[in-house]
Amino acid sequence: MPTSTEGRADQTRINASPTKEFFIYMLTRDIPLTRAILDLVDNSVDGARRLRQNGNYNGLWVRIEVSPDQFRIADNCGGISVDTARDYAFRFGRTNETITTPGSMGQFGVGMKRTFFRLGRHFVVRSTTIHSRFTVDEDVDAWLAASDTPDKWHFTFRELDTALRVKEKDTGTIIEIGQLLPNVKETFALENFRSRLAEELSHAHALTLNRELAITLDGLPIRHDPQELFVSTILKPAYIDKTYTSQVLIGHPGPRVRVKLYAGISERSLHDGGWYIFCNGRLILRADQTHTTVWGERHQMRVYHPDFAYFRGYAYFDSDDGALLPWTTTKTGVDADSPTYKAVQLEMIEMTKPVLNFLSNLAKERSATEGPRPLENAVASARAMQVQTVTRPCVFVAPPPAPVPTGPRMQKIQFSKPAAEVEKAKQILKVRSFTAVGEKTFEYFMRYEGGEKE
Amino acid sequence: MAGSYRLINYALRPAKAIERRMLCAAFDRLYPFQRVQKYRYLGLGSIYFSDFQLIHRELGITDMLSIEKDVSAKACFRFNRPYRCIRLKFAHSADVLPAINWSRRTIVWLDYDDRLSTGILADIATVCLRASSGSLLVITVNAQPDQEPIQEDRDAYQGQTGKDFDLAEYRLHIARELLGENLPAGTTGADLRGQEFAGVFRDIINNVIAEQVSVRNTALTPDEKILYEQLFHFRYKDGAQMLTVGGILYHANEEEKFKACGFDTLAFVRNGKEPCSIKAPCLTPKEVRYLNSQLPHRPSRKLRARGVPDGDVERYAEVYRYFPAFSEVLFS
Repeated sequence: MPTSTEGRADQTRINASPTKEFFIYMLTRDIPLTRAILDLVDNSVDGARRLRQNGNYNGLWVRIEVSPDQFRIADNCGGISVDTARDYAFRFGRTNETITTPGSMGQFGVGMKRTFFRLGRHFVVRSTTIHSRFTVDEDVDAWLAASDTPDKWHFTFRELDTALRVKEKDTGTIIEIGQLLPNVKETFALENFRSRLAEELSHAHALTLNRELAITLDGLPIRHDPQELFVSTILKPAYIDKTYTSQVLIGHPGPRVRVKLYAGISERSLHDGGWYIFCNGRLILRADQTHTTVWGERHQMRVYHPDFAYFRGYAYFDSDDGALLPWTTTKTGVDADSPTYKAVQLEMIEMTKPVLNFLSNLAKERSATEGPRPLENAVASARAMQVQTVTRPCVFVAPPPAPVPTGPRMQKIQFSKPAAEVEKAKQILKVRSFTAVGEKTFEYFMRYEGGEKE
Repeated sequence: MAGSYRLINYALRPAKAIERRMLCAAFDRLYPFQRVQKYRYLGLGSIYFSDFQLIHRELGITDMLSIEKDVSAKACFRFNRPYRCIRLKFAHSADVLPAINWSRRTIVWLDYDDRLSTGILADIATVCLRASSGSLLVITVNAQPDQEPIQEDRDAYQGQTGKDFDLAEYRLHIARELLGENLPAGTTGADLRGQEFAGVFRDIINNVIAEQVSVRNTALTPDEKILYEQLFHFRYKDGAQMLTVGGILYHANEEEKFKACGFDTLAFVRNGKEPCSIKAPCLTPKEVRYLNSQLPHRPSRKLRARGVPDGDVERYAEVYRYFPAFSEVLFS
């Protein structure tokens, strides 16, 4: 039975085209609500980066408003040009031709749309650049209903003005998401959600906030704790600055990856101890205490432990080509298989070792009842300094532990006795501490029964 | 300026006694849900059992459970138990609350001496998740702000943080240790002094209740959804600054019953951030009787008691129905 070439082509062709449902219902499952909102902030920060190449964002702002009826984010960070909007910004995913901001946080061409679908069923994007202005106003359900054929995957400009002249300070983007999903509505009504979002904003964008970008949540300025390490003349954090070429990492020429690593001591906090990883200024892993960074047998290292609650490690990855950096699309962790990360992880492990040795010795020094305390004094007398102030590569510097006292090997004894009796013994012995009660009674026993009587 | 005899009688804790009576008057309003005698009362023990005595006598509640964390003083508590219907549970509230049967409507008064902490918030969360419709939850905590610490503590803070001592930062540091990420966004050290401190605690308690109720509601039909309405927000100071916050949990379809309770007609009920401050003036029994003889009074008529400051007279008029009478009794 003869078949036409065309017919045979139809028979052998397998449909692998994406569906709108995939983007609306599936992709949105991977991302927590707070992180979806951070994705929109990332876009604003990228705008700031385009606008201010020198990295000083003073005067720029991002305002986030969260209510059970609507989500709104507005910025004055330069806006999205009509061309970018038409060809790239609203596409699902990036193509090779996509023009990216060097060193940008937006990387996968998925964040903004995913956030729209994650939050609600209606979105409005208004953006003004120095040359143009546009509005996109879409109803997600209507878009979904308009079949899946390739010619129905577009959105439409509601308003469009080109060839304008707008002052730079009046440029920016406003995004409003309405018809919020029921669970989103409920969550947005909670004060605790707001606090959590504020906390995540302050962590994720600590570096950008440090550059004076003003981020507010419902009018409240987001503050941040700078990354700090203890520094003194006798206690210094380790610092390494490395550059990896694209040729080495992925086998073809392209932008380089610059990595700065710091490891040292900071305020003791069980919750905050660990490694922090930033990619192009965005925190993607906070206070990691697992094998994702340096901890545990997998790396021939000790597991995280309360003794190490002083430890802080900071890793800053920067590249004009974000694809070389070890982040995941949700920016909630590192891509541990990334060649860049694998190379850097070894450095992180080596830097961590001397700090953990120091902390183990510090714990030993503390558990000893007496003797000099050089390590504790070193920690107590150091001052917290922002890591950016450390500019010269150096190894971890700390005083050595106090030498083990010479003399016979000592053994500690511990026991419990009724408090009233111990108190009585204390009075009889005329001593003040329980340790002294133990020592004096032992010495008394040894004098009369241990053959030490002269 | 009044003499020290017009200040607080620490031993007797009069403001606490007034609060107890006010709460009791509110508990009495729960009858639209069911007969108040049929409620269960759950409290945190104290060897005086003052709340248990009052509630049993005034409301006739017989299903009473006292949680006492001091396991070593069992005999003392058993001896001081005023009525046979009070069951004693010697364990930590965090162990008891998740393990009891919550199908019965319950009045829960978590009357802590400590400051608000994540542990207390966990207790509140348990009650919000489990309590049946028509149950009341009342929480009392110490809300005394941190004073300027002694030099030794200042040095320890400096060694620990590597930063110069600053009272506001120090307070924030302590609050973070107590409350972790429950501390509301934007809280500064300046919010943790004076009365603002109690205000922050009140917000945190309400936020946790709101979140917990919201989580509970995700799996419920619209009719079954649980609503929380704040009824109590007391502040008083018999020594340390204390804060009491509380309210009612009920099903959305029992809104009518809630309204029928008429809590809003009680003068001391507070739904928001504004507290009802309880201040107990120090009066002699004779002054009390003399003022009582003029009460209740029309606003136009001025109350009088010779030698008692006007402020104390006004304060007494606000609380007179709940004012405790203390007197010396000789047992023979």
